[in-house]
Amino acid sequence: MDTLRVRDAKDVEEVVRAAIANEQPLEIIGHGSKRSIGHAMVTNAVLDVSALNAVTSYEPNELIVTLQAGAPLADVLSLIDAKNQQFAFEPVNTAPLLGTSVSGTIGGMIASGLAGPRRIRAGGARDHLLGAHAVSGFGDSFKTGGKVVKNVTGYDLCKLLAGSWGTLSVMTEVTLKVMPKPEAERTLLLRGLDDAAANKAMTAALGSPFDVSAAAHLPKSAFRARTEGLGDIAGQGEALTVLRLEGIIASASHRAGSLRELLAPFGTAVVIGDAASSALWATIRDVLPFAASAALGAWPVWRIVCPPASGAALGTQLARETGGDIIYDWGGGLIWAALPRKGDAHAPAVRQRTNAFGGHATLIRADEDVRREVDVFHPQAPGVAALSERVRTSFDPKSILNRGRLTRSARA
Amino acid sequence: MAIMMPASDQAVLARRAEIVAALRAIVPGEGVIDTPAEMRAYESDGLTAYRQPPMVVVLPDTTEQISLVLKYCAAHGIKVVPRGSGTSLSGGALPLEDGVLLGLGKFKRIREIDFDNRVVVTEPGVTNLAISQAVAHAGFYYAPDPSSQIACSIGGNVAENSGGVHCLKYGMTTNNVLGCEIVLMSGEILRIGGKSAENAGYDLMGVITGSEGLLGVITEITVRILQKPETARALMVGFAEVEAAGECVARIIGAGIIPGGMEMMDKPAIHAAEAFVHAGYPLDVEALLIIELDGPKIEVDELISRVEAIANGCGSTTCQISSSEAERNLFWAGRKAAFPAVGRISPDYLCMDGTIPRGALPKALARIRELSEKYQLGCANVFHAGDGNLHPLILYDANKPGEIERAEAFGADILRACVEFGGVLTGEHGVGIEKRDLMPDMFTEIDLNQQQRLKCAFDSQGLLNPGKVFPTLHRCAELGRMHVHAGKLAFPDIPRF
Repeated sequence: MDTLRVRDAKDVEEVVRAAIANEQPLEIIGHGSKRSIGHAMVTNAVLDVSALNAVTSYEPNELIVTLQAGAPLADVLSLIDAKNQQFAFEPVNTAPLLGTSVSGTIGGMIASGLAGPRRIRAGGARDHLLGAHAVSGFGDSFKTGGKVVKNVTGYDLCKLLAGSWGTLSVMTEVTLKVMPKPEAERTLLLRGLDDAAANKAMTAALGSPFDVSAAAHLPKSAFRARTEGLGDIAGQGEALTVLRLEGIIASASHRAGSLRELLAPFGTAVVIGDAASSALWATIRDVLPFAASAALGAWPVWRIVCPPASGAALGTQLARETGGDIIYDWGGGLIWAALPRKGDAHAPAVRQRTNAFGGHATLIRADEDVRREVDVFHPQAPGVAALSERVRTSFDPKSILNRGRLTRSARA
Repeated sequence: MAIMMPASDQAVLARRAEIVAALRAIVPGEGVIDTPAEMRAYESDGLTAYRQPPMVVVLPDTTEQISLVLKYCAAHGIKVVPRGSGTSLSGGALPLEDGVLLGLGKFKRIREIDFDNRVVVTEPGVTNLAISQAVAHAGFYYAPDPSSQIACSIGGNVAENSGGVHCLKYGMTTNNVLGCEIVLMSGEILRIGGKSAENAGYDLMGVITGSEGLLGVITEITVRILQKPETARALMVGFAEVEAAGECVARIIGAGIIPGGMEMMDKPAIHAAEAFVHAGYPLDVEALLIIELDGPKIEVDELISRVEAIANGCGSTTCQISSSEAERNLFWAGRKAAFPAVGRISPDYLCMDGTIPRGALPKALARIRELSEKYQLGCANVFHAGDGNLHPLILYDANKPGEIERAEAFGADILRACVEFGGVLTGEHGVGIEKRDLMPDMFTEIDLNQQQRLKCAFDSQGLLNPGKVFPTLHRCAELGRMHVHAGKLAFPDIPRF
């Protein structure tokens, strides 16, 4: 395998141009932390952007940070944390789930677009990417967006780059929105609800004026594994429904009280505060009950996005049919499903059930031989798939970048 | 007209009668308008300095009709300009002499309200405000609130990625839209996204939003709705210097406070607004901030006092805090009426829309003052201070020879300054025809070519709303051509592992 460690955007241009001339596809990596997501790429040449790791500028008062794509996510999070700021979409650290040693780069965070519990209130990576410099599959550096929050100048290509898994362009530098960290957080815990009741409780909470910033449900089975971060909370091994409120202390406490009253029909909620609360949400964000090192570490894991009020119906069906474990986030709109090992990772059942509820499912963790047999990314309706392919071609006509990662049919 | 539109296709114009008849066969009855008198209503949008009657107006009732109209136009090489309520401030819906104007005005039904999933599924002709009104009984609203919200359509909001005073905290249209039904120029009907938080695959909804009617015709939209905050209160703070007001904005944000809205007006704007609505604005200040905090009462009360302390620390000369809804609305009345108020003190005005980094505000206002001297034209500034979005209103008199040209040159210089200061040409009004020719000041040819290639993926003939956004139109075949660079000795000096 040939790995090319680029030093600047010019290098990236040069490598991509040479790849075009030699008809040699490239795998684009930062730290390679999410390499196991998607299909095996049809190439053995690697373009490594991890040396493009500078912080170009950080202006806390403007609420923006500009970074080279290879900047380590962990370092950037410490940098902005020191100014009491954060990426409001709570990027998922996939290292525990995928069993890698590193949590990846900023480029990988955007290209995968995996957002955590606050997605329902603050949006995803796509909502926080303000501008980008990138090299297309034409071998040309281009920029899109800008360094300000409010901008409608030209097409918003940032939206396409976020979640494109490196198939459209090689990002070299990005500008992201940062937000102040809340002063306080409070989490309500409801115990013992079944999935359907929990979904109703989360719907009631998210439909309330109390500005709930996260709503998740861990069914009883999620506690099969002893999970870091849950600590005493896991205690009795009962199902746990959790709702987060953030803001200034007086407000978070006040709303916690109001929400507790609202949810009284579902049981008496216990309220936990800052450190315990944030550890709990990090556990949910990073799907630690399904961690690679835990009891279900060898099971394939699906990430299913669906209309939130349908979450429980979909999740319980899947658990019943497959004997798998489910965790609900985003008020039911995000389902993490760890399903017993099987050659096809239960793909027909997952896809059929998910389609019936208007959702889509990504096989986020599976052995390579499973990924050879199963579509990792959700197949789209023919017209949308054709348009998406035309969009891809408009960036990378020779399919130089991460060829084969998104669709099995694209394999050479 | 200073802006050149694409040359009219004489062959199309020669076949006008035939085209009108074909369109009537698709949209029967009053849905096709072809008399000059009736078409006059469509010759302009909110950018009234530019007028052009279309070849014919079509007002379809159904998605199928839109599909057939587009299919027919694609087959016959006829240009199409989509139009919602026609409130665009950048000329996005300006008709073409040889084009079909496709009005979405009959798509005004809300199709579904789904409180459990917190979404509304609506047709594109429904007004922005009507969505909020339809869900108000359950305490919900649709957050983006452009100042034209009584009239502007949600379809137009998606096309322009509209903002509003509350987008600092609640985001623009793109952050509040989940899915759509779109008809491509080929007539193909696609559904993108839905009630889920995210789409599968590439974020097509994200790139359709703000595409200014160049990628497709939207026939249905799914928007997120939110619970209305429990309460809202506003502060009205005056400063003797613009710099102090700018510093106050920076310190509020720096303190981790994201107000629901944070607006600034300069002296000419304050005076015009006060004379019009008598909101009680102080007339002896250089800058006025209106800062609104919303949320639970306990939070709003606390943040109001924190913001008040910050304002005092920045040397505010006046500070009033609303103690009732009536008073809060009065604070806003002047700001919301700023455009018509300026319209009273000047025969005409041009409204600009650049964005700058917040910190560049004093610099930008100083530059605007210099330019005002240079062009000998007055300028009143209103400003979404929280997110750096400037709306300079350039005062001129269209009846005085040369003034409109001077006003446009003044405006172009302001927008160039925005780019120079690290900002962008348009924050929420769109490029349209107004800022089209300034695009090369912000983007290189390579940048613009990449955007146009995306256009080709949706509309390979370039028939949908041509002449908008891009200063030069390239044929898709030309854009798709790959220039293979010599790759013999590939990257000899790049480290390999």
